[in-house]
Amino acid sequence: MTANGWLQIALFFALLLLAAKPMGLYMARVYERKKTWLDPVLGPIERLLYRMTGVDASAEMRWTEYGAAMLIFSCATLLLTYAIERLQHAIPLWNPQHLAAVEPYLAWNTAASFTTNTNWQSYVPESTMSYLTQMVGLATHNFWSAAVGMALAIAFIRGISRRESKTLGNFWVDLTRGTLWVLVPICLVYALALVSQGAIQNFKPYDTATLLEPQTVTAPGADGKPVTTTVTTQTIAQGPTASQEAIKMLGTNGGSFFNANSSHPFENPTPLTNLLEMLSIFLIPAGLCVTLGKMVGSPGHGWAVFAAMSVLWFAGVATCYWAESQPNPLLHGVNQRVAMSGAAQSSGGNMEGKEVRFGVANSALFATVTTDASCGAVNSMHDSFMPLGGMVPLANIMMGEIIFGGVGSGMYGMLILVIITVFIAGLMVGRTPEYLGKKVQAYEVQMSMLYVLIFPLVILGFAAVSVLIPAGLSSLSNHGPHGFTQILYAYTSSAGNNGSAFAGLNANTHWYNSTLGITMLTGRFLMIVPMLAVAGSLATKKIAPESLGTFPVNSTLFTVLLVGVIVIVGALTFFPALSLGPILEHLLLRSGISFA
Amino acid sequence: MSDIVFLAASFAFFFVAVLYVYGCQSLKGGGGNA
Repeated sequence: MTANGWLQIALFFALLLLAAKPMGLYMARVYERKKTWLDPVLGPIERLLYRMTGVDASAEMRWTEYGAAMLIFSCATLLLTYAIERLQHAIPLWNPQHLAAVEPYLAWNTAASFTTNTNWQSYVPESTMSYLTQMVGLATHNFWSAAVGMALAIAFIRGISRRESKTLGNFWVDLTRGTLWVLVPICLVYALALVSQGAIQNFKPYDTATLLEPQTVTAPGADGKPVTTTVTTQTIAQGPTASQEAIKMLGTNGGSFFNANSSHPFENPTPLTNLLEMLSIFLIPAGLCVTLGKMVGSPGHGWAVFAAMSVLWFAGVATCYWAESQPNPLLHGVNQRVAMSGAAQSSGGNMEGKEVRFGVANSALFATVTTDASCGAVNSMHDSFMPLGGMVPLANIMMGEIIFGGVGSGMYGMLILVIITVFIAGLMVGRTPEYLGKKVQAYEVQMSMLYVLIFPLVILGFAAVSVLIPAGLSSLSNHGPHGFTQILYAYTSSAGNNGSAFAGLNANTHWYNSTLGITMLTGRFLMIVPMLAVAGSLATKKIAPESLGTFPVNSTLFTVLLVGVIVIVGALTFFPALSLGPILEHLLLRSGISFA
Repeated sequence: MSDIVFLAASFAFFFVAVLYVYGCQSLKGGGGNA
């Protein structure tokens, strides 16, 4: 670890802190339908959209209506994306490489993936998806799924702030305003900034470059026998990248235009874009803490939640940076530490799977940020991290994607844990728990526990089956604890709607495409429903005046208790699984044992 | 054939999810106070 590395991590957090308040206050104005400086431009577009779709913007929805509207919208957009993928070969528009139709299992997995804001990719984008599919089928979902998440978080916040109300707002209005006022304007500026740094944006067919040195490649032929060929050219993929990159990060989607994701120089060309991309992952989730404080009338509560998220973020990045700064003990023979420390200021450490432009500190920070949030974009390969370094992204997702979290989903996931924290605090002092003046009763706790339990059930259930059947084991690249971690990571990432991968697992099989698709849908929608039920129930309650017995949710004590509950509920649920994976691998690696 | 299976599976999932919404709502009536 170096002072330079820590300085960059500190700079990242300082900029996030500066951006959170204006972003949060702006979002509060957008969702409370107060005047903003974009109204003259966007107001007419909004009204036109409502007229075209027949939406009554003044109508309010109960939580059941809000949830049903969200499910119907998500179902329709999932099917639209599936259809585009299956028909891309028949649509002459924006398919200069004449790519074939996407295979059904993969098409469904991808449609489920982008609908749920997961953006798990079991395919190589540049050789599978046409430009049309990338833009109309996938990038639109980046906007929609992010706007859905934000709408749901706002619905939950309204549930807390409203008194004796049966409604939570209007899903269609929240969806429209989140897209028009928040996502689109930021992405317009952001995409241009990426282009200015060297990210590409075009519709050209792929370029071909002649190699300076021809390469000899030996690979199995059609009959299985090795065939040696000499490669003299390289295909350089092109496409509308910057526009997709912007929403990929801002919407915590993570699905990349190129297979190498944000380590590809066309997606993430400079250290400045790397910093911008990390900041944009946390921008909306951090801002939503301020929005929470503003809308519930307790700014201190918003900052207390922000503080809990920050503590957990720092714990993750410090652990990951430390772990990745260590050389792999099995590479002592080639003296990696010396090799990587050629320059006096070089950090050394584990550089396998890392982009040298970003180094250890920025790879560890990116990995932590992308898995704290449900983004899943990567600028280094998590599969190549040291066991404990790779455990950080995994544990981050296992905690429920609430450390800033996905856009909206991080906030409502955190608020469920706030409800549980308040409930536990109430049990400790022996009085009916209250959250901002609202009594937390049996129904809210039942629904909160349903939310919390679905997550490990779907992850551990599918992971357990996968390690027992040939279909689950046949596409592993490693055996032993590392192979187990690859499978566990795939289901954890899918259920958490993260989308990053321990890339050693080839998930483009019928088993993984179908079960990961089910996991993504379950991890998104079957958790949203009990969350909305809690919000709907809270909205109907009276707000009791504060008394001496009220647990203050804007205090340091609350932050500490909240962090404790998150660690206990999230991390300890998965500790047995982690001990069979990265922890065991770490101990074996220290003993000189690895698994090919 | 696979297309029909996936379309049916998608519809089935979201149909069950809508039922789940109303199932969660119906639990509200049965819950007592903590």
